[in-house]
Amino acid sequence: MRGFKMQCKVEILRVLRNPYYVFWSLFMPIVFYIVFTKIFNTDLENPKMWQAHILMSMTAFSVMGSAIMTLGIRLVEERKQGWSMFMRIVPISDQAYYFAKMIGQTMIHIFSILVIFTAGALINSIQLTTVEWLLCGLWILFGSFPFLAIGALVGTMKRVDTAAGVSNMVYFVFAILGGMWMPIELFPDILQTIGKVLPSFHFGSGAWQIVRGGGPDLTNFLVIGGYLIVFMLLSSYIRRKQEVAV
Amino acid sequence: MEPVINVQNVSKQFKNKTAVDEVSFSIQKGEVVAILGPNGAGKTTTMLMMLGLLKPTQGRVQLLNKHPQETDVREKIGVMLQEVSVIDALSVREVLELFRSYYPNPLSIQELVELTRFTNDELKKRANKLSGGQQRRLGFALAMAGNPEVLFFDEPTVGLDVTSRKVFWNTVEKLKNQGKTIIFTTHYLQEADDIAERVILFHHGKIIGDGKPNDIKAALTKQSVSFTAKETFSFDHLHSLPGVTDVYEKDGRVYLITKDIDLVLSRLFSLEIKLENIEIERGRLEDAFEQLTESREGA
Repeated sequence: MRGFKMQCKVEILRVLRNPYYVFWSLFMPIVFYIVFTKIFNTDLENPKMWQAHILMSMTAFSVMGSAIMTLGIRLVEERKQGWSMFMRIVPISDQAYYFAKMIGQTMIHIFSILVIFTAGALINSIQLTTVEWLLCGLWILFGSFPFLAIGALVGTMKRVDTAAGVSNMVYFVFAILGGMWMPIELFPDILQTIGKVLPSFHFGSGAWQIVRGGGPDLTNFLVIGGYLIVFMLLSSYIRRKQEVAV
Repeated sequence: MEPVINVQNVSKQFKNKTAVDEVSFSIQKGEVVAILGPNGAGKTTTMLMMLGLLKPTQGRVQLLNKHPQETDVREKIGVMLQEVSVIDALSVREVLELFRSYYPNPLSIQELVELTRFTNDELKKRANKLSGGQQRRLGFALAMAGNPEVLFFDEPTVGLDVTSRKVFWNTVEKLKNQGKTIIFTTHYLQEADDIAERVILFHHGKIIGDGKPNDIKAALTKQSVSFTAKETFSFDHLHSLPGVTDVYEKDGRVYLITKDIDLVLSRLFSLEIKLENIEIERGRLEDAFEQLTESREGA
């Protein structure tokens, strides 16, 4: 148990010390947020709503990125460097090790949410009720799980370059088609149809509905949950197959 | 006494290559064993199988009477592998603390620092920014973190300079005196000879010798008796002497190759040939080792 706690702590430290995390998951989402709300803010009917909407998009964008990229690429690196093999001779189980990584990553997500929410609220003095802030945070935290599972799937790849390439691509396709950079309604029909089956759209939707006084609907829950299960099964299946191959 | 390690008829096949071929041995508590052999002899593969990191294609490995991957086995072993780069973004001290946290009865940071002589500055350094020698010391510290009963070192001194090598083996000597069981692989004959009480000699995936260093040396080394003769005589007499494995003439000297010098000498005198300038040569161990591995390579 001491080992597990320590492992969680260490994973958090490692992410916080990673300059890519600080740049891509904290700095860039805030920059995008400023660009979207301070520069492209002409003739909007309800600028306050738009600001809150974009803040949720950017927070989701940040969390999605660190879930897919930080976790996935790190897993591949650890295997490449012989580290994961080494972990099999110390008395911490594989499950505990991966679970600690997930917990650490989730703590990092909480931290990202707090930082970006605070920045957004200060920059545009967004007025949401405490309950709304809380629900948005919780939803984004919950919605990050399928992306962690995607990160774990990326983590089964053999080469760091492939993992980095694939996760970057998935990340940006998810972000754009999921409507995190601009509302999906502005897309041509075909792209809207694609966007609506992506987990990123439902991830954003939940939060967008909360800032409009509503809440995530059943479809959001089902899609997020569905993707979580599929990617979890897939990554654990592949990992098991890789172990047998040894 | 129960063996700490039991390897029974173990083979490992990689695609079409047999890396380890029907190997059996057991190691008792407190033994210090060198697994010696040239590169590619199957030493590392065997060690990885002892640790349960590779699955034997055939045969069975038991470590502390259990499957090597059982958690309570892992709590009692310490391992230094080749080519493990250390976890990134953590300082040496943090990595040590992390590893200590995995074990029920770890050594204190103090003790680990004493064992590995890390300075305060080194402890603050990021572990992945250490020099090669420092990384080895960290690897050793990680192996010791859980105060293990059984230690595995895979080619521990490769890439170390002479001084660090000496320091490392001195420390191992101390661990030996504490009654730890120590298994290490090496392709340096001298190391095996100096440190180990027992040498298991590997070649082409097979064990070709297992015993005290002196016995292994005797088996490896070609000893010879040579002389010049004052009269002509038939070599057949020499060939038929007990213990003689080869006879030849070189530069006017006759050489008898044997494993038992004493026996050959006494019989040689009883032949009553007139001999001069008798010389005994024990042979250089390094040469013999090289020769052995080369000749088998060719076969």
